[in-house]
Amino acid sequence: MRPWPAVLFAATLAIEVGAIALSWGLEPAWDTALYAVYGVTLTGAGVLIVSRHRGHRIGLLFIATGLLEAFNDLAQGWGLRAARHDWPAGPYGEWVGLASWIPSGLAIVLSFLLFPDGHFSRRGWQWVAWVNVIGIALVLPGWGLNPNLGDQFISGRNPLGVDRAPTDLLLGVGMPLFLGSLVVAIVPLVQRLRRSSGVERLQLRWFTFASVCAAIVLPTVAVLWSVAPAVRPLSALALTAMPLAAGVAILRYRLYDIDLVISRTVAYAAVTLMLAATYAATALVIGAAVGRHSTWVTAGATLAVAAVFGPLRRRVQERVDRRFAPDRVYSLRQMSRFLEDLRTGRAAPEDVERTLRHVLGVEDLDVRVSLPHGGSTVDLFGAPVSDGLREGQMSWPIRHGETLLGTVVGPAELAERRSLVTKVVQGSSLAVEIARLRVELRHQLDEVEKSRTRIVAAADDERRRIERDLHDGAQQRLVSIGLALRHAQHALGAANVEVSRTLDDAVAEVTETIDELRELARGLRPAALDAGLGAALRDLARRAPLAVEVDADGERLAPDVEIAAYFCACEGLTNAVKHSGATKVVLGARRRNGSLVVSVADNGVGGVVADRGSGLTGLSDRVAARGGTLRIHSSCTGTTLLAEFPCVS
Amino acid sequence: MRIVIAEDQALLREGLARLFVDGGHEVVATLADADNLLDAVRGAQPDLVVLDIRMPPTYTDEGARAARAIKDELPAVGVLLLSQHIETAHTVTLVAHSGFGYLLKDRVLEVREFLASAERVAAGGSALDPVVVASLVSPASGSPMERLSERERDVLQLMAEGLTNSGIASRLVVSERTVEAHIRHIFTKLDIPETDDAHRRVIAVLAFLDSLHHA
Repeated sequence: MRPWPAVLFAATLAIEVGAIALSWGLEPAWDTALYAVYGVTLTGAGVLIVSRHRGHRIGLLFIATGLLEAFNDLAQGWGLRAARHDWPAGPYGEWVGLASWIPSGLAIVLSFLLFPDGHFSRRGWQWVAWVNVIGIALVLPGWGLNPNLGDQFISGRNPLGVDRAPTDLLLGVGMPLFLGSLVVAIVPLVQRLRRSSGVERLQLRWFTFASVCAAIVLPTVAVLWSVAPAVRPLSALALTAMPLAAGVAILRYRLYDIDLVISRTVAYAAVTLMLAATYAATALVIGAAVGRHSTWVTAGATLAVAAVFGPLRRRVQERVDRRFAPDRVYSLRQMSRFLEDLRTGRAAPEDVERTLRHVLGVEDLDVRVSLPHGGSTVDLFGAPVSDGLREGQMSWPIRHGETLLGTVVGPAELAERRSLVTKVVQGSSLAVEIARLRVELRHQLDEVEKSRTRIVAAADDERRRIERDLHDGAQQRLVSIGLALRHAQHALGAANVEVSRTLDDAVAEVTETIDELRELARGLRPAALDAGLGAALRDLARRAPLAVEVDADGERLAPDVEIAAYFCACEGLTNAVKHSGATKVVLGARRRNGSLVVSVADNGVGGVVADRGSGLTGLSDRVAARGGTLRIHSSCTGTTLLAEFPCVS
Repeated sequence: MRIVIAEDQALLREGLARLFVDGGHEVVATLADADNLLDAVRGAQPDLVVLDIRMPPTYTDEGARAARAIKDELPAVGVLLLSQHIETAHTVTLVAHSGFGYLLKDRVLEVREFLASAERVAAGGSALDPVVVASLVSPASGSPMERLSERERDVLQLMAEGLTNSGIASRLVVSERTVEAHIRHIFTKLDIPETDDAHRRVIAVLAFLDSLHHA
């Protein structure tokens, strides 16, 4: 903080202390104290604003007004004290104190016109300030030189009164200008409030709130001034509230929830009025019954007030909330309804983002989930998202106990409704926690599925390699050996029938071994697959011990899909042959909507269930490893096995 | 007869050559791959080329492609494809040629039958492995095959293997007249116009294999 604002604040404080010392005991204590507090608050708020926002005109205005207020208080104190101790110039001090309300009007007009950024509205409202200045220029002499003000002075005479001054004329012209400009100055403030958004709107709400309080309290106090002297201090409080509200608005607008302050204020004011009415009504009724001065009156009225306080406060608060913060009531109700739906399974935890958007009335709101173990930031469905904030965005942490689950990222304007947002975000934590667990589970499942696919693919490759090795290695060698034996047989000629027969047997043995190897290789991976799935299925059908019809075309698919589909048909066919007692099987392999549908339909006895341990479990694993699905329809007229594989052409 | 052999495995190549020599034939060239096969065949003008279907560099259908090239340029040369297992994808179009055979490798161990098949192919006949034929003629829905009776199908299968009427009759243990009657029915059911008998036989087998392939 640079020194001069501090110096001015200290000066105000010192002057007010002096003013209190002078006035103490000569006027009501609250009058002395509260106006001193008002002056110090004005300068204090101004100093704080200026120290944070250098040269802020609202701050400067408050400092100037605070100093002026302090001088007025000092002058008034001097006037009071001088009359008591016969000091000089007492009436002039009184005059200054009594006239102080006139320049204060300009301060109020200017604060209306300049709030919150210290500049006049672009729509040209400066003239209001000039009208006020002209009004003051007329009212000040019209009031100050009026000799009829004598009764306001201790001496009974206005020291500056001039008998022949045209004071009536001056007041008659000046007063409408002065008061009119005060009223008109509210217009640009309301205009600003209506057009504003975001931070400015928040600031204006604070200041307008205080201004409206003042606008209600000050005339009310003026009316009740002589009827109920007890309300007099309220005007000082209302005045003090304005610089306080302005200071909060400019410096700490994000700290407090203005909507909540407004609705609570209105609710408590309403409750107070109703309680007073209840007290009065009860007292009247009981008084009429048992006599006005009975202690029963007080007791009964107090009892009535106590009885209605609780329910009344709740009702009024609810009504006021609905009127002044309808969002809040609606939002909290929506949130608790969502949580109830979540509990009963009517809503999915991933709906929390949509619910938050709906509840808070903003579209640009995202829930970001932080995965555990230093994991990445993802959305509710597990897709990675950046964790930075754009211009004009804010984030709120979502916590469940000690754990940080993620953040809600939304527009900065949401700060206007800080307490609501915090409450709603807190309410969302259970849903976010569940969604986070589901994302985690999905990630792990995804990993497992990928590794299963890799394992199956590796096994397929290995089968293919072994099949090749059998065909091109062992089988060829055996043929060579057979040929060598035949050559030996030829070379031997007809000389030795015994040896020739032995060689025949050996060749037969070799041929059989080759056949066995061929079957073995087919079991690993049918070579017919080289010609396509259709060819392989027809090959399979041909070797089956019952009538098998094949419905497949010659279209080629990815090798891994073809082999998976082949084994699927193979397993299904084996199952049908072994268990169904079928006489006919239809094998199908057709493309349908980007999927390959493999079907094995038999006319057997049915009763097939894909439970653990059956061959079909292994089959469904194989299908799942390719991202496919396996369905089985089994009835007493037969079993149909349908495997669907996703395939891109 | 004069024979060219293309087989990538040395032991088998030599074994095959010896088999033919033992059978009284002349092996005029042996090659380890299909690259220079066409040149060798042009130069040597053999009666028969015996070749493996899988050869370097990719071990898929080099042999089948070389066979097609030979048949396109020198249709008179007989081509006998050998394979470790049956692959109809690469061979179905070749079946249309006369003087073509396709056998499993281990058939060579039945020396007499193998040499007979080889001689038939060299003479412009056909020799299809029973497994090949079976895989081509297995019943599929919507094929003209469905119009044939089971017996007629058997006869057609043996026709496709390259057997003569008498060969078919002895294999099925029926009279030659019965075989002839079956063949007439086959021609009628497959709508094959009347030309010379050998030609009709080929058309019957081909029309039939072709329709199966496109089923």
